[in-house]
Amino acid sequence: MKKFNNLLKKEIKELVTAQLIISLVFTLLLFNFMGSITKGEIEKGIKLRDVYVLNLDDSSLSKEVLNNLSFAGFKVNLMNNLVEEKNKEKAIDYAKNNDINFLLVIPDGFGQSISKFSPMEIEVYSIIRSFSIGSTVNSEMVNQVVNALNRYISNNFLKEKIPNIDPEELKNPIRSKEYVIVRDKMAEGSSAEVTNFVQMQSIFIPIILMIVIMYSSQMVLSAIAVEKQDKTLETLLTVPISRRQIVVAKMLGAGIVGLISALIYMFGYRSFMSGITGGVEINSTDLIQKLGLQFTPYGYTLLGVSLFLAILCALALSTILGVLAEDLKGAQSMSLPMVLLVMIPYFLSMFSDINSLSLPIKIIVMAIPFTHPFVASQNVLLRNYNVILYGIIYMLIVFLILIFIAARIFSTDRVLTMKLSFGRRKSSTEGKKVGL
Amino acid sequence: MDFILQVENLKKYYGKFEALKGVNFEVKKGEVFALIGPNGAGKSTTLRIIATLLSVSEGRVLFMGKDLSKYPDFVRENISYLPEEAGAYKNMKGIDYLRFMANFYAVDPKDVDIFVKRAEEISELGDRLNDKIGIYSKGMVRKLLIARALMTKPILAILDEPTSGLDVINALEIRELVREYVKEGTSVLLSSHNMLEIEFLSDRVALIDKGKILEIGTSEELKDKYSAKNLEEVFRRVVQ
Repeated sequence: MKKFNNLLKKEIKELVTAQLIISLVFTLLLFNFMGSITKGEIEKGIKLRDVYVLNLDDSSLSKEVLNNLSFAGFKVNLMNNLVEEKNKEKAIDYAKNNDINFLLVIPDGFGQSISKFSPMEIEVYSIIRSFSIGSTVNSEMVNQVVNALNRYISNNFLKEKIPNIDPEELKNPIRSKEYVIVRDKMAEGSSAEVTNFVQMQSIFIPIILMIVIMYSSQMVLSAIAVEKQDKTLETLLTVPISRRQIVVAKMLGAGIVGLISALIYMFGYRSFMSGITGGVEINSTDLIQKLGLQFTPYGYTLLGVSLFLAILCALALSTILGVLAEDLKGAQSMSLPMVLLVMIPYFLSMFSDINSLSLPIKIIVMAIPFTHPFVASQNVLLRNYNVILYGIIYMLIVFLILIFIAARIFSTDRVLTMKLSFGRRKSSTEGKKVGL
Repeated sequence: MDFILQVENLKKYYGKFEALKGVNFEVKKGEVFALIGPNGAGKSTTLRIIATLLSVSEGRVLFMGKDLSKYPDFVRENISYLPEEAGAYKNMKGIDYLRFMANFYAVDPKDVDIFVKRAEEISELGDRLNDKIGIYSKGMVRKLLIARALMTKPILAILDEPTSGLDVINALEIRELVREYVKEGTSVLLSSHNMLEIEFLSDRVALIDKGKILEIGTSEELKDKYSAKNLEEVFRRVVQ
C-alpha cells in the first residue's frame, strides 16, 4: 500500500501542473465573466420598459390608450415635450442621439379612425445598436406594446357594446384544463411546466458527465503517453510494484484530478448558466410533487453509481488507448474515439429520446457504456430503476473486461512494443506475460 | 560457483523474427559482466528481459537461483535497471525524484533517507538537486539516473550504456564509482559501445551478434585469443 500511495501521489503531482491550474482558473474566470456580462445584458433588456411615444394625435382616445400602457407595465415618455415640434424625423433623430431604443409614433387621426372601427397603423421604430441578447429582448417589446394597445382598445369596444360580459371571456370562450400523467400518477398542470422542471433539474448531469469523462480520459492518456515519450515508463516498470498497481494508480490519479477539475469547471459553468437564466431557480411545485418527479436518495445513489462506473469505463479504455499512443501527440489523436463515444450519447440524450430510436440503432447506442448515465438521470425521475440497474450491470461487465485487457497489456511486452502510429504501419509483437 | 545470474538458452521472438537465438552466460557475485556487440545484436533485448521488461520466449533466466518468469517481483526488488535512453520526470525536482524512487525499495522509512543521501553523493549534483529535472542538462540527468540505479545497493545493477551523454571527466568518475560498488558486493551487467569503458570496468566480456553469444572471456583472454591489441580489434575480428 505504501508503494501504491507513493505512486498515486506522484501521478497526481504530475497531473496537477501549473498549466492545468492556470487553465482551470482562466476557465473559471472566463465563465464567471461571460455569465455576469450575459446577466447584465438580460437585466438591461428586462429593465428597458421605457416607451418613448410621439403622439401626433390629440384625441382623448390616444391619451387614454397611452395612459393604459402604464398599467400594462410600461413607462410612457412623451416625446412631445422633448422635441421642439411634433415632427417624426426630429423625434427619430432625438431617439438616435439619446440612447433611446424604442419609439412609438401615433399618427394624426388615430382616435377618430379607431372610433370608426377602421384599422389604423401605428409606427414602431426599433433602434438597433448591437445584436446582443438585450436587443432581442427589446424587439420582443414591440409585440408586447402593440398587443397591450390592441387588447385595451378591443376590450373597450366590447364593454361598450356588450356591457354585461367580460370581454376576455368573450374573446376566449374555450379554456383548457390540463392534466399530466406520469406512469401511474396524474395531476392538474401543464406538460410544459413538467418538462421545463425536469430539464432544468437534469441539464447539468450530462454536462458534468461529459466533462469528467473527457478530462479524466485525456489525463490518463497523457499520463501514459508522457511516460513513453519521456522514457520513464521502462524504469517505472522495473521497480518493485505490481503492474496492476501501476495501472490502478494511473487511473485513480487521473480520476481524482479529472473529477476535481470537472467540479471547478462545472462551478464556472453554473455561474455562466445562472447568468443566462437570470439566476432563476425553478423550485419543485405541487405538480412536480404530486407526480413524484423528485430525486429520491435511492435514485441519487443509482445515478452516482452509474456516473462512477462510466468514469471507470472511460479510464480503463483510455489506459488501453494510452498504451497504443507513442507520444503526447499520439495521445491526442487517440482521444478522438473517446470523444465520439461520449458525444454520441450526449447529443442524443440532449436532443432526442433514445427510447424512440429504431431497434438496431438503439442497440448500438446502448452498447456504448457512456449512454447509460446519460439516460439514467431522467429514468431516476421516472422511477425506471430497473433500466438503471441493467445499465449499471452492463457497465460493470464492460469495466471488468476493459481493466482485464489493460492489466494484461501492462503485464506483457505489449506495454512497450504495442503502438499505433497514424500514417504508419501498425506494429505489435507477441505478448507473453511478464508477471504482475 | 556463486552465480547471481544464469541465462540459459534464452530465445526471444518478435513475431516471426528471432531476436535472441539461445543466449547463454552467467554473472558471478561481485562481477562486472559486459555485453558488447553491434547495433541490433540483441544486447538491449537481453538486458530488458533480465530487467523483467520483456518476456522470455524460450529458455530460462535464473536470478539468485529463482526463475525470473515465475518470480518477477523478487527480481525487481533486488535489481536496478538503467535503460540506454532513460528519462526522469521533468516536473519533479531531482531530490523528489530520488525520494520517489527510494520509496519503492525502502523496507524501513529510514532507508529512504539513507538511499537519498547516498544518491546525493553519487550524483554530486549538490544544490542542483533542488531544481526541476526539466532544466537539467543531458549529463546531469544521466548522473541522476545512475545515482538512482546505485543508491539502493542492488544485488545486480543492469546498466545499458551507463555513461552515454556524459563528458570524459564525468564518465571517468562514473566508471570509478561502479567499480567501488562492485567491491561492496553489487554485481553489474552492462552494455556499452565504448570499448575503453568495457576494458576498464568489466571482469568478463561477452561478444554478441545476431542474437548469439560468440565469445566470452576476460579482456586479456579475448585479446590473446585473437592476437589483438585491444577489445576494439577483438570486436572487429569476431563480428567480421
